Amino acid sequence: MLRLRFHGRGGQGVKVASRVLGTAAFLEGYYAQDFPLYGAERRGAPIAAFTRISEEPIMERGVISEPDIVIVMDKTLLYDPRIMPVSGLKKGGIVFINTPQSPEEARAEYKISGQIITLDITKICLDILERTILSSLAGAVASKIAGLREDSLKEAVEKVISEIVTDRVLIEKNIEASLYCFNAIPPVELKTAEVIQKGSGVITMPFETAGVSSPALNATGNTPLRRTGNWRVFRPVWNYDACTRCMICVARCPDGCILVNEDGFPYTDYDNCKGCLICVEECPTKTLEKIREVHAKKVIGK
Amino acid sequence: MEGNGEIEGDSRKGVKEMEIERIKSIKDLPPEENVLPGTPTCAGCGGLLALRHCMKALGKRVVIVNAAGCFTLLSIYPFTPFKNSWLYTAMACAPAGAQGIRDALDILVKKSRLDPEEDLKVVVLTGDGAAYDMGLSSTSGAIYRNLDFYYICYDNEAYGNTGFQRSGATPFASKTGTTPPGRISPIGSELPKKDLFEIWNSHKPPYLATISPAHPVDLINKFKKAEQYKGPKLFIALSPCPPGWGIDSSYSVKLAKLAVDTGIWALKEAVFGEVKHTVVPKRFKPVEDYLKEQGRFAHLFKPVRREEALNKIQEMVNEYWNRHKLLL
Repeated sequence: MLRLRFHGRGGQGVKVASRVLGTAAFLEGYYAQDFPLYGAERRGAPIAAFTRISEEPIMERGVISEPDIVIVMDKTLLYDPRIMPVSGLKKGGIVFINTPQSPEEARAEYKISGQIITLDITKICLDILERTILSSLAGAVASKIAGLREDSLKEAVEKVISEIVTDRVLIEKNIEASLYCFNAIPPVELKTAEVIQKGSGVITMPFETAGVSSPALNATGNTPLRRTGNWRVFRPVWNYDACTRCMICVARCPDGCILVNEDGFPYTDYDNCKGCLICVEECPTKTLEKIREVHAKKVIGK
Repeated sequence: MEGNGEIEGDSRKGVKEMEIERIKSIKDLPPEENVLPGTPTCAGCGGLLALRHCMKALGKRVVIVNAAGCFTLLSIYPFTPFKNSWLYTAMACAPAGAQGIRDALDILVKKSRLDPEEDLKVVVLTGDGAAYDMGLSSTSGAIYRNLDFYYICYDNEAYGNTGFQRSGATPFASKTGTTPPGRISPIGSELPKKDLFEIWNSHKPPYLATISPAHPVDLINKFKKAEQYKGPKLFIALSPCPPGWGIDSSYSVKLAKLAVDTGIWALKEAVFGEVKHTVVPKRFKPVEDYLKEQGRFAHLFKPVRREEALNKIQEMVNEYWNRHKLLL
């Protein structure tokens, strides 16, 4: 059995990516399972989805903790200690990362062992679909790595995407983008071995009253520690020559991420700005513009 | 119900409207932030923008009673974006929770265990599912008992937290998770939006208003005005929802503005039942300008134009403003 795990953010199409792969496998005659991890699904929140593919009926249920293949649709998750996308990856398994970096660069940056494949599917998606819904593209990458055929992928994208949208042009573009990605991924060989799980993975915890089991926490206003800045695909950047200090951006930011310096000029709190780009849309003097996050310098002066 | 309103109303109406210090521009908005960044709400959340301005107006001395909905995710242990206390209740009973807290605070003050200066405002925060549907009866009860509290409803016109299923706030012809346009109902939701403002207003509460995240000056002034009244002070904020409405996250404010400019969302207030419109567009834009921007109404334009439904929506808006003699 082949077990795949997808990691991405709400709105990127993580669940649909696992569905495209599962459908392609099913159309090719395999048994398949695909499902997301249910929780707080919302745009930007970390999301995981799973696909199992087998020649035999699949009796296994639940989340996949030891995947053969991991598909990372948002590389910022690799730095998130609560997500740890590559955790449990089997020896000889494959990690796909959506990044413009080469596999060697990614290996050096993220310290990942195992085979790494990279492709900037966000760029391909922006070029072809003019948006960042990566579902069919990530599904295509996974289909190639899982060793499925191009025609089954095409049929699966058609089937899955047309259940969501009726716009024919959009469906065709999804097929085009997915086939492009399928062919951009080099043929790979998966070297993982089937391991039989020994014993139960469930840990029994003794019961403790709340006073013992949970720490007392009286802090208020501590969400800035969460650093939602890594949700961004695009970053708002400032050209102060045009700024009239009208304060419209400050009044429009839902997250209160635009602050004002001593001279009365607004600036962005990039640690937590989610990249909704309302400021860029609303600025009357075009002081703000958007650039893709991967092209932005690490820190742009406040 | 009506009889009681009259009896109650007589004693309450004695309050003379005080002069309030109104703010005039966006530059006058209170600078303090009482909802901090880093929340798990979607990028571009219109409801969060409305809440941010409401909390600027309310200040720090607040207890929020939050019914289940998107905003319960704001405070997930061990994180909270608020500087104030926060209580989580089930969907139907936030006003009952507010009653309990108000009573407790009143008792503490009465027993001199809490300095009246230290008293807190009790604020109910719910989505439209709790306000229009499940919590309607407990809200009615709280207004009837003249409970001294604020109610902020962030209305994104469906159950946004669980996948955008239809609620009582869903407008006519909207696509939702449970009203997908299809063979049986090609226009999506066939039922019109409930008029919660009128339902609440029939109780003649001291203060009731609709607000918009795109009109923060109007919003702040409404809270300033509400502050002088003891009793229920109720607010309904139309809150663009990027994933549910099928809009780009950068368009939230644009859509909130269009809702007002097309006349779909009337900005108004009611003091003891007397309704007054606070923002009336000089010239109304056609409703199509608002509808065509949103994925949830895309089926009205493609693959065929649903002329009948589009006309009906325009007529409903015209009828509203005609009734209030404000259509120019």
